[in-house]
Amino acid sequence: MKKLLVVLLFLLGLSHAQTPIKFTELYSEVTVRGIEFSPILKKQNGQQVKMVGYMAPPLKPKLDFFVLTRTPMATCPFCTTAADWPPDIVLVIMPEGKELDPSTRKLEVTGKLEVGIKEDPQTGFVSLVRIYAKQVKEL
Amino acid sequence: MQKSIMILLALTTSASAASLRVFPYDGAKFLTGQKFDVRIEASDIKAFKGVTVTLDGKAWAGFQQTSSAEGKYEWTLRDQSLNKGGVHTAAVVIQDGDSTVTRTLSWTAESFKKTSKSARNVIIVIGDGMGWNTVNAARIVAKGYNSENGQSRGNLEMEKDLQGFATVTNNSLDAFITDSANSAAGIMTGQKQEVNALNVYPDNTADTLDNPRFETIGELLKRTRGMGLGIVTNTFGTDATPASIATHTRRRGDYQSIADQYFNGPAQPDVLLFGGSRDFIPKSAAGSRRKDETNWIDQSQKKGFSFVSTRTELLKADSSKLFGLFNIDNFPSYLDRAQFKRPEMLGSFNDMPFLWDMAQKAVTTLEKNPNGFALLIEGGMIDKYEHPMDWHRSIWDVLELDHTVAYLKEYVKAHPDTLLVVTADHSHSISVYGGYDYTKGPGNRNAVGLYETSSWPDYYKSVDQNGIPVLKDAKQGLAVGFANTPDYCETYTWTEVFMDPAVSDGKGGYVANPEACKTGVLRTGNLPTNASSEVHSSDPLPLFAWGAGAQNFYGVIDQTDIFFGISRALGLNPAKENR
Repeated sequence: MKKLLVVLLFLLGLSHAQTPIKFTELYSEVTVRGIEFSPILKKQNGQQVKMVGYMAPPLKPKLDFFVLTRTPMATCPFCTTAADWPPDIVLVIMPEGKELDPSTRKLEVTGKLEVGIKEDPQTGFVSLVRIYAKQVKEL
Repeated sequence: MQKSIMILLALTTSASAASLRVFPYDGAKFLTGQKFDVRIEASDIKAFKGVTVTLDGKAWAGFQQTSSAEGKYEWTLRDQSLNKGGVHTAAVVIQDGDSTVTRTLSWTAESFKKTSKSARNVIIVIGDGMGWNTVNAARIVAKGYNSENGQSRGNLEMEKDLQGFATVTNNSLDAFITDSANSAAGIMTGQKQEVNALNVYPDNTADTLDNPRFETIGELLKRTRGMGLGIVTNTFGTDATPASIATHTRRRGDYQSIADQYFNGPAQPDVLLFGGSRDFIPKSAAGSRRKDETNWIDQSQKKGFSFVSTRTELLKADSSKLFGLFNIDNFPSYLDRAQFKRPEMLGSFNDMPFLWDMAQKAVTTLEKNPNGFALLIEGGMIDKYEHPMDWHRSIWDVLELDHTVAYLKEYVKAHPDTLLVVTADHSHSISVYGGYDYTKGPGNRNAVGLYETSSWPDYYKSVDQNGIPVLKDAKQGLAVGFANTPDYCETYTWTEVFMDPAVSDGKGGYVANPEACKTGVLRTGNLPTNASSEVHSSDPLPLFAWGAGAQNFYGVIDQTDIFFGISRALGLNPAKENR
């Protein structure tokens, strides 16, 4: 189990304060016409943030990105292009060359927040909220 | 001796290794005039010389020939029908070098006669995953027992005053366990189909939208009688069951196409009320699942639909074409909407209609059509919560469906020319095996009561504003299990915020959710380790019917027979009813 404990530390930038964001704070409203980002999220766009959640079931043994969810999930996001997703998910992108082992533990992700619709050209996966991780640690 | 060897050699060289696949399959049954596509696929052809296709001994012309690879040939002919009742014989003969490959198929066409007693309207209700054991658990929860005399305190609405009643077997074209796509689509067309298929036969192309099709009851009734057509569910609207009456695809996950087919396809329903707006809003709207900028909320209004998105708006609606989207995804369960009311489960959706609200509005909207109507109503979240073995959420959704059936039965009483059929598409491996004393907390094996040591369930003693038991007030409950499971922790109780039973181990397998294991009893699963939830079972299903033609449903029938039972009730003969 200890081997699973993955801590990636990047000293650069960690000295800055990171604003903690909760999953419940992502959107101000989800209506049938779409999702509205919350003022908190819009304000922190481009800033250093911290979020706590779980890794959605990954397909690969080594991860250069993963989906952070509020609760542990059985749904595999990349198994189909249309798995039943909760709307409150965050795509976590690992730094160039840094890969992560899959984990079922609670994770704390620190990094730069990016808000807005973006489609991954390789997977076709559409994300609304991303964190470019500086640090991912198991709690 | 030499002569016989020569003959043997000749036979060997003339036998073609070619294989032939033809749809409709041998034994297919249609209504007279029901449209279907014909597809012939030949492979391992060495020296193709020609093909002859006949129907009842006469040359069948018009096939379009393609060759997808060396040695592979295909022939397609769309929009065919058998216009005379009885048994028909189709034959395909392919010349491959000196040899021939032959396939003979027998197809049957049935027709029914419209009389003064024929049904004018038909309402099909599908409890997704609502096998007999699911109905049984719902009855015990809703009614309970009289401890004085050991009698059940009553039946569900769907079990009472039956005018038609059958046991329904179910299986797919390619498997003996069905999914919700091919099973519901079998009910709508009379055709066996592959898992994940909606109203198509298989073919050898990668394109999931070009498969051979056949007409659904919804399309038939629109085309031949000009009837109104409605679809109501509490899941996302492009899910398999709602899609089964009006769309065609080999892959039920073609959500964008299913959404488009509702508005541009052959059926074009007049009433669409469900969740899952993400397939109807443009790609640029955050939360959309579309790959283009089509906005069906706006475009539907140009096609004459009124658009509603809350219960308040729904109840006020008074148009003849109605499009309602009430959630970006599935509705939360009845328990979430009516009793728990947790923001984690409801989000901003605080004014969602109940299933019976949608059913009632669909009926009163569709009955404006002078030619009658066909309406599909699904209780879809029953299945969605059986998969993760959250039986409380599932069973309370059966009770929401039962309330809907109560309204529909009243409608049939007032409109006896309406046929009402309530059934399921498949079952789950659910079973009530004892009692559970909720006062002893979650995950307590010794709180399970067996035989005479279980207490009578008391859910019925406290009910909410809709007359449905208040779960949190129950002290003596049920012990309910599933025969097939992943590894999971059994708590015997519920959580107000939904929890998956198993989570990924990060290596392609699933392990019991550690959160549930804080209170639950660990149970090693019996499914492959890559299964994250419980799966469908093959158990037979109940079918309950009322109104015009309800007597057509009797005995042990296959779910494809439901299509013919409905057609018989309507006195349908599409060959003679072309408008």
